[in-house]
Amino acid sequence: MKCVLILEDEPFIAMDLTFAFEDKGVEVVSTVSCREAFEAMERNAFDGAVLDVNLGGGETCEETARELKRRKIPFLLNTGDLNRAGEFLRGMDAPVIQKPTPAGEVVKALFAMG
Amino acid sequence: MDNPGGATASHQAMSAIPQSALTPDRFVGASGLLFEQAMAQTRMAVCLTDPTIKDDPIVFCNRAFESLTGYTEEEILGQNCRFLQGPKTDQDQVGKIRQAVKVESVAVVELLNYRKDGSTFWNALHLGPIYDDTGKLKYFFGSQWDVTDVHLAKAEERHAKAMAREVSHRLKNVFAVIGGIVNITGRSMDARGVAQKINERVQALGRSYEPTLDDAFLGMIEVGQAIRSVLRPYDPEGDRITFEGNGVRTEPNAISAVGLTLHELATNAIKYGALSNAGGRISVSWSHQTDRHERHLLVVNWKETGGPPIDREPAQSGTGFNIADTLLVHSRGVFERQWDRDGLRAQISLPIKR
Repeated sequence: MKCVLILEDEPFIAMDLTFAFEDKGVEVVSTVSCREAFEAMERNAFDGAVLDVNLGGGETCEETARELKRRKIPFLLNTGDLNRAGEFLRGMDAPVIQKPTPAGEVVKALFAMG
Repeated sequence: MDNPGGATASHQAMSAIPQSALTPDRFVGASGLLFEQAMAQTRMAVCLTDPTIKDDPIVFCNRAFESLTGYTEEEILGQNCRFLQGPKTDQDQVGKIRQAVKVESVAVVELLNYRKDGSTFWNALHLGPIYDDTGKLKYFFGSQWDVTDVHLAKAEERHAKAMAREVSHRLKNVFAVIGGIVNITGRSMDARGVAQKINERVQALGRSYEPTLDDAFLGMIEVGQAIRSVLRPYDPEGDRITFEGNGVRTEPNAISAVGLTLHELATNAIKYGALSNAGGRISVSWSHQTDRHERHLLVVNWKETGGPPIDREPAQSGTGFNIADTLLVHSRGVFERQWDRDGLRAQISLPIKR
């Protein structure tokens, strides 16, 4: 993997993940909302993505997940609570990494998909 | 005649009740007496209505029906069952009853009913048709069961579950954030091995806290409480830092960047600023504001006075502030610092969802 998308509204988690990917020589584009994630997808060719499910203010990563699926880009969900993920995300066969999971493990899990 | 789930068999039993409206025909003798006693003594409220009479009135009810509803038999007989309904009775459920009566089928519905004294109870109503020997519709039976307790228990359980989920979600997020802070700090201090060891223990602690319940979690965090908690250790006597802000609430995620920035400001103040001598003071204020793009902002102002005079930004103050800058940039926020001679003046502003 050369370039991954991170969608995460919590800055510490996003930074931690970013560093962990960069350690493996992977470029990261970090976004905080679906709108930003869509813009990033227009500008970059991603090989994978890590999505937080609840993005604050009631927003979820659902739209981004749909778009990644449409583009056939592998992704995993990184969340503390899958119960709130909603029908669509529960029904999707994307792997779920429960928070808290060390960033290095998240990176490994995404690499295993690509 | 078609019998859609109706109770031809039980009509024999029902017809053994020697009430005026019922003509005993076949089920007589000892069995009839036993049935009559059972019907009188059962805790299940039972009534029969006569759909051949206009407005389908109740023509029989047992004692349990009287005590459940608070009405006497005299008040009950002749009424349509709807006399138990009230303003909060779900009309969709009533519609199901009406439909069942219309097509002569069996139905089970749960609806809110009203007693004579106006109090309410959740009624699990089981109703169905009773046919005579020729297959002609004779009665509708209704059995009522007070399931109020079940309803309350369900609502409480739902509430408790939702609360537990929320708390557990928050805790997991908090510990995920802690993991991030430890890693980032370890990396910046060239101590990644140490950071990893700390993290392993912190995360273990986090897991052990997961089942803990606390009803203080309500989805939004009061900014002032968070700011006070962050700064409390730097002002143990409570006389150096003053706080000013209304009851602004915001999402928990906005707090981590503000909290860390305040931590960096306080650390700097202890080394070089208003907390480095005996007489310095800090004022912290916060409010919601709207910028020119109509975005909502949380703005926190920091003002130090009475510390050592400042000529320029202290050379060593950079690292912590760089972390704060990076975090705020990620949150699309701004961290401005102005090194006035009488003390550092800083402003944190970041967009929030409301």
